[in-house]
Amino acid sequence: MDIGAILLLILSGLILAALLILRGRKGARPKIRPLPAFQDLWDEAGHAAESGGAVHIALGSGGLGGEDTATSLASLQVVEALADATVCYNAPPIITVGDPTLLPLAQDILRRAYERNGLADLYDPANVRFVAPSPVAYAAGAANVVATEHVTANMIDGAFGAEASLITDAGARRDLPLLAAAADPRALGALYPATDRLAVGEELYAAGAAMTGERRYLDSLVAQDILRVILVLVILGAAVLAFLGS
Amino acid sequence: MSKLVKRWIPSLLFATIPGLVVLFGYLFPGRLLIHYRGRVVEWRDVLVEWAVIVAAFAFLLGTFNILRVHGGRIGHRRQGWPYSLVLLLAMMVTWVPPLLPAGTLVRQPLDRAVFDYVISPVAASLAALVVFTLALAAFRLLRVRRGAGSVLFLVTVAVVLLGSTPLTGVGWLAGIRDWIVNVPGMAGMRGLLLGVALGTVITALRVLVTSERPHSDF
Repeated sequence: MDIGAILLLILSGLILAALLILRGRKGARPKIRPLPAFQDLWDEAGHAAESGGAVHIALGSGGLGGEDTATSLASLQVVEALADATVCYNAPPIITVGDPTLLPLAQDILRRAYERNGLADLYDPANVRFVAPSPVAYAAGAANVVATEHVTANMIDGAFGAEASLITDAGARRDLPLLAAAADPRALGALYPATDRLAVGEELYAAGAAMTGERRYLDSLVAQDILRVILVLVILGAAVLAFLGS
Repeated sequence: MSKLVKRWIPSLLFATIPGLVVLFGYLFPGRLLIHYRGRVVEWRDVLVEWAVIVAAFAFLLGTFNILRVHGGRIGHRRQGWPYSLVLLLAMMVTWVPPLLPAGTLVRQPLDRAVFDYVISPVAASLAALVVFTLALAAFRLLRVRRGAGSVLFLVTVAVVLLGSTPLTGVGWLAGIRDWIVNVPGMAGMRGLLLGVALGTVITALRVLVTSERPHSDF
């Protein structure tokens, strides 16, 4: 077993231990810092319902089975959190995906929300759209949705590169509010000038905690923070040891 | 019993057990083997192969989704319906070469022509368009958010871009560009990737311990 595998095992063990300890803990819910990229989405969904429009959620070109699996699953938390409220107002979001493996998952989340609220007849699978399997073509297709449909806000959340700017540009031409979350540095470079409501890097994985406030999401966020501090201390310690050794 | 059937059995069968088997296969290669199609292979490879087959069916779903969305747009004459018509016609044209019998003279040239003269040039044009949308976003940044952060961002972008060009008279910028990319740029990117790696591992673990179930309400 190589050193990478050993480190991954240790890291996974530490995270599991932290999650188990946090799960057993009782008391007040941990507080998280404000993340307007996710929290403001409620307001945008409300505006969409009032104006008879829809929020466009672009889930990016990632899918299940590749290196973007975790990012794509994290971005689905936004759809899951928003589904019930938007379905109740009959203002479901328009969701675009660039990988067909996300299509049935996103459709299923919306369908279950309709069923939970006794509105199964109103469910329209065409609210979730597979656009194209290549990133640039996907971004161009999603930009067309923003430009031609009754979209009142844009949410970009998932695996993107610099091509995200095609979607932000289509939204900016219509003065649409933009919220975004991305982990790829190229996407962050493209999104930073377009919005100040941007979730950067690991903040993308905090969507569930920021939008629902559920304990299971909050606990994993706290575990993530603890692990980050430990990793930073380990890196600093290794740097000091290397410096002293030289 | 109902909770066991609806929540635990699907989650364990389709998420936890395959996930752990694949992870174990990568961490301890050569330990979990199986006779499959007349040869000895790793369990993880078999599961990954099955996943690829399932993903191929997802492409079929994607195709039906495109037909439904754009067909509906054409049928209801919604805004931009001619583009949807072009899209569907183009999609059907690309189906022709693979459907021709093997050995047909025009099959391969037609297949290549679609890629060489349509898909590749259009993809390259769209990629080139990204540069202009990025430049536009930078101008909008100056208009909408005037602050120290915005100015620093734009100055950095300008220095890195000019430092990368072969223009005469700006050669001195190349050193500054290298420093920006290799020192603060690299440090920021490593910090970012560290956080992303942690988030990725936590999300994967949440799926493995069935705390995250995007496929189920239970």
